[in-house]
Amino acid sequence: MLIKIQNLKKQYGEEELITKVLHGLSFTINQGEFISIMGPSGSGKSTLMHILGLLDRLTKGQYEFEGQDVSKLDDNQLAKLRNEKIGFVFQAFHLLPKTTVLENVMLPLAYSSDKKNHIAKAKKILESVDLGHRLNYYSNQISGGEKQRVAIARALVNNPSVIFADEPTGNLDSKSGKQVMELLQNLNDQGNTIILVTHETQTAEHANRIIQLKDGLIVNDSSVKNKRIAKNEKILVK
Amino acid sequence: MNEILKTISIALKAMKKNKIRTSLTILGMVIGVASVIIVFSAGAGIESLIVSQIQSFGTDIIQTEIKIPSNKKGSDNSLGIVQGVQITSLNLDDLKDLNKLANIQNTYAGILGQEQLNYKNETKATTLMGVTASFIDIDKSEIDIGRFFTDAEDKSLAKVIILGNKIKNELFGNSDALGKFVKLNKTNYQIIGIMKERGAMLGMDFDEYAYIPLRTIQKRIMGVDHILYMTHGIYNTEIAENTAEEIREILRDNHNINNPDKDAALDDFRVTTMKEMMDMMGTITKYITLLLLAIIIISLIVGGVGVMNIMYVIVSERTSEIGLRKALGANKSNIMLQFLIESILVTFLSALLGIILGVIMSYLISIIATMNGFKEWEFIIPIKAYITAFLFSIISGLLFGVYPARKAAKLDPITALRK
Repeated sequence: MLIKIQNLKKQYGEEELITKVLHGLSFTINQGEFISIMGPSGSGKSTLMHILGLLDRLTKGQYEFEGQDVSKLDDNQLAKLRNEKIGFVFQAFHLLPKTTVLENVMLPLAYSSDKKNHIAKAKKILESVDLGHRLNYYSNQISGGEKQRVAIARALVNNPSVIFADEPTGNLDSKSGKQVMELLQNLNDQGNTIILVTHETQTAEHANRIIQLKDGLIVNDSSVKNKRIAKNEKILVK
Repeated sequence: MNEILKTISIALKAMKKNKIRTSLTILGMVIGVASVIIVFSAGAGIESLIVSQIQSFGTDIIQTEIKIPSNKKGSDNSLGIVQGVQITSLNLDDLKDLNKLANIQNTYAGILGQEQLNYKNETKATTLMGVTASFIDIDKSEIDIGRFFTDAEDKSLAKVIILGNKIKNELFGNSDALGKFVKLNKTNYQIIGIMKERGAMLGMDFDEYAYIPLRTIQKRIMGVDHILYMTHGIYNTEIAENTAEEIREILRDNHNINNPDKDAALDDFRVTTMKEMMDMMGTITKYITLLLLAIIIISLIVGGVGVMNIMYVIVSERTSEIGLRKALGANKSNIMLQFLIESILVTFLSALLGIILGVIMSYLISIIATMNGFKEWEFIIPIKAYITAFLFSIISGLLFGVYPARKAAKLDPITALRK
């Protein structure tokens, strides 16, 4: 089991100004799953992703990541775990400006305990997402779709246990969005665990399982019957 | 190490990206650091100038001069002078006794007066140096034309005078002055010599002095018996301190000064060796340098605050980047280090540019000083100037970078990513 949460609650503020966001969520996620967390704006899906991605702490409940109770870890231990076990793909790409594609992908390796072959690792990952020809391009010299593929390569470079993708197609045209989703699909096919946060049903349906949130509660947690992309479609990841 | 190099590279890129802002940020620090170099260099230059000027009086002399005794150490001497207190205890009998000391080769005594010299229609206010005949043997001044007066002339209150180079030129121009008479206190004095040009040293322009026999000025002009100072030529400079102490003992005895603790403040005279004189001048220069440095350090602090300000702007501008780095695994120390290195890099670069500017300016100052008559001014940049500049830049980079860096390190990654 990769992730196990029990009665997870999250609230912001203190005393009279408390805003309760998550009201006691419980579920498990296994290695190799492709999960979409769906919900309308304000449902708490981003907060849930931040907690699962170890960027934020829960208020009450229990969160085990690979069998480890993460609520007891300090900030530095959480940072190490994020670096080694978690990859993030953001809607706004978050690539460093005036920095090459290769340097962007190498960024997580700068904080890794593994100090060897950073360039070789980053190059290999970039080639696997068909960006081997863009290594020395600056992040402002490539298209939106390519930027998101760079972000995916960056998420993969430390060989994480799970990739969190927060609205990864939100800033892309439909063609690029489709390519990015195909890439995530293929990564999942190769055994990577993907947790996708989206408000778009179409995007969410690429997953095997959809957890639907509404007002901080899980209203549905079920497998996807009608997957849009078949496994035998064009494979981008080699 | 690799990470630090990487951080330096990131910081350099950020600085390169914002050239104008970086230039303005470092400008204050550059000026501050350059000032540190200039002050140190000027301090060393002035010191070399003073040392060389003191040495031009000769290192083989000891100076004895009158002073107002005090019950406590301090500046009562100057206060006494202002109040018109006169010390008349030092006289030619002291000179005779002191000349008996083994290490004293010879001594001349002196007294100063301000008088007007007249030649035909020309008038010149002059500093009159009444000295004994041995002056010309001990002092570094030399006769250009004619001769200095003799001991016999001094003892006979001869009305003879030797003119400084400038006075001669002002009163006589290019015409010959030797043998002619100038009026001093309505009495004619015959010019028997012209001094060789010597120039100004430590605020004294020797070329504007006129020399007459000590006893002549004492009896004929001032009506006194005392002297103001004595200069002793000594054989062995190694034992100058001992000789100075022997002088003090003799003078205390002669002047009936009961001073068993040998407290110089109680004496009515001051004995100074040339080494003491140089030490004293060195101390004065050092304090002036320190005072200037204190002022400059204030400007460096202002420059440092400028760096801090810009670092806050940089942190604010790169909030999203900080959020991303934290999401990708950077911990607080990583972020703190990144911004601290950036801040130190800014101040380090300022130090480098400041030192280059400071060295160039110091060199120009030394050239200007040399061209304006301060020939002994040496172009020196002491090692401590470089060390102070670098240390201060790194310390201010650390001090003024630490708060912005802490702010960056404390940023919540989620909030930062949303920026």
